[in-house]
Amino acid sequence: MTRPDRTIETPSPSPARGTAADGAATMPYPLVPERQRTAGRLRRAFARKLAIYTGVAATSAVLLFPLYWMLVTALSPRTRLREFPPRLWPEEPQWDVFHDLLATQPFGRWMWNTSLVALSTMILSLSVSVLAAYALSRHKLRGGQSLGLFILTAKMLPATLMVIPFFVIFRSVGLVGSLWSVVLAQSTLIVPFATWMLKGYFDTIPDELEQAALVDGCSPLGTIWRIVLPVAAPGLAATALYAFVLSWSDFLYARTFLTTSQSKWTLNLGIATLKGEFITDWNVIMAGSLMAAAPIIVVYLFLERFLVGGLTAGAQK
Amino acid sequence: MASIEFHGITKSYDGTMKALSDFSLEIEDGAFCVLVGPSGCGKSTALKLLAGLEPANSGRILIDGTDVTDLGPGKRDIAMVFQNYALYPHMSVRSNMGFGLKMRSIPRAEIDRKVEEAARLLELTDYLDRRPRALSGGQRQRVALGRAIVREPKAFLMDEPLSNLDAKLRVQTRSEIVRLQQRLGVTTIYVTHDQTEALTMADKIVVMRDGVIQQIGAPDDLFHTPANIFVAGFIGSPGMNFFRGPIEFEGEAGFTRLAGARVRLAPAANDLAAIGNGEAVFGVRPEHMTVNGSEEGLPLTLALVESLGTEKILHFDMPGAEHAVMSGEENDSARRSGLLARVIDDRRYRAGDVIRIALPPEKIHVFHPETHQVVP
Repeated sequence: MTRPDRTIETPSPSPARGTAADGAATMPYPLVPERQRTAGRLRRAFARKLAIYTGVAATSAVLLFPLYWMLVTALSPRTRLREFPPRLWPEEPQWDVFHDLLATQPFGRWMWNTSLVALSTMILSLSVSVLAAYALSRHKLRGGQSLGLFILTAKMLPATLMVIPFFVIFRSVGLVGSLWSVVLAQSTLIVPFATWMLKGYFDTIPDELEQAALVDGCSPLGTIWRIVLPVAAPGLAATALYAFVLSWSDFLYARTFLTTSQSKWTLNLGIATLKGEFITDWNVIMAGSLMAAAPIIVVYLFLERFLVGGLTAGAQK
Repeated sequence: MASIEFHGITKSYDGTMKALSDFSLEIEDGAFCVLVGPSGCGKSTALKLLAGLEPANSGRILIDGTDVTDLGPGKRDIAMVFQNYALYPHMSVRSNMGFGLKMRSIPRAEIDRKVEEAARLLELTDYLDRRPRALSGGQRQRVALGRAIVREPKAFLMDEPLSNLDAKLRVQTRSEIVRLQQRLGVTTIYVTHDQTEALTMADKIVVMRDGVIQQIGAPDDLFHTPANIFVAGFIGSPGMNFFRGPIEFEGEAGFTRLAGARVRLAPAANDLAAIGNGEAVFGVRPEHMTVNGSEEGLPLTLALVESLGTEKILHFDMPGAEHAVMSGEENDSARRSGLLARVIDDRRYRAGDVIRIALPPEKIHVFHPETHQVVP
């Protein structure tokens, strides 16, 4: 709400303040101070915006610099990589590095394996998390809160701690060397956090929606499928993205369970093998890393608003 | 259309506090029954039990003579309108209204026909393809009603459906619901905490408190012959005036005292004598306290005047220690420490004036001071 500033009082040549010489009604306050005030407000708004944009630009520069440097390294000739001072952009970008990588390495196979692992992990962990989160959100179980917190403790264990027991279990059931080993191991890490993300989202959905569906003749499972999940779509998208990104970027479990089976290597494992004992072509590794990161970047660009919305909705409860 | 019966229903959420205690009620086919009471009185619980959304601990529920106590909500053939409308946000108005029919595998063409018919009735035709978020509160309310009526259920259950609307729209929608119910003739159970809604809409009102039915009756019956202090204070706005006083006799007539004057009572001397301890709680509605132009009547000092144009609410100080504090458990009007009178005249009243007030004996309700029940 705006409020007239009554502290500014300048002598007016007109016979009565607020009345023009011809008697027509005018603004009751002098124009010049109003203009000055407007200019001051504009200056302050501009300064505020400038500060915000500067901050955003600086943060973006810091965050995007590694990506930029990966690209510069990938396009630089191998002999120029250790030049000092480094060049901000190579004189003759070596675009062939991407082609050579695809031609000399089974990059397509790695990409396919990684996609299988990421999608399977996403589907498996989402299926488990949705049911667990729904139960924790809707059913008032004795000790339900403690159970929920206990589930979260699995997330607190470092992944390296789980490697040995996982290896023993997978070896005993013959899963070592199978992509399923990575899917299952990743899912155990993702399910606890995904459950809590989804629980927070389900908590925001009013019970009356489900009650209305039940009265309308929907079964309890039908209510989840037809009402709860569509309403929770942003939360599901955020959780799916979280699961996809985490399993896509896995290295530890793939390195442990898939080393002996070269046809099952994932992108990160394959790229790591490009590092030689005596000579390492960093430009090739960076080219591979860029191609491995590209799908994630594209998915992020499409789903970023869902991710933020989903996380916020979960945080409110 | 169907009759509805509750028989000895008991419900407790935690095993100790009873949300409903031995709740028995019969609602006739086609009736508009309102469950009314303060928050936590169990009225919404009763509705949820009838809908099948909550299980009862004991007792039976019958719809149209069939025991539905163990049936799920979808099999009871009832429709419910919720306080926050509970419209499915990801569906259009058309899909919202047709959802119940779709769940019952009704052919698509028939669903469309029924939805469009209901939309015409509720003036929603232009909004059928919109999502609920693109509608106003009143329109959402009508969609919720539409979702209920397309199903042509045996009964409508309405859980405070007007409480999210502004005052003007509430009054308008109130009459629309009554007209709709009369036109369709479907048995309706309506839950509210607003006694004005109850009085204006119901054929039958059930006043509840702490999970127990206090009184069942037509609006006029509850207003004129309340069964106890709670009902007397809850029904009516402003609520009934209460004061404590002695019971005196002169021949066959009973009297009490207020502001030093004797006030004649209507009940028979035998009934008054049965109260036992020589004291009672008396109630009189503000509408029944009349300003007396002569020198007769109780001299009361005017503390405040609320003028609504021709109608005025006069606030009088309670003389002496005669106010009827009810141990803090009764409703607000029973704890009020003054007397109110509602008058319609052109006289100018000023705070500090001493006004003569007449109390017609037949309008004074006498309540037992311990049981709080009315003395007939």
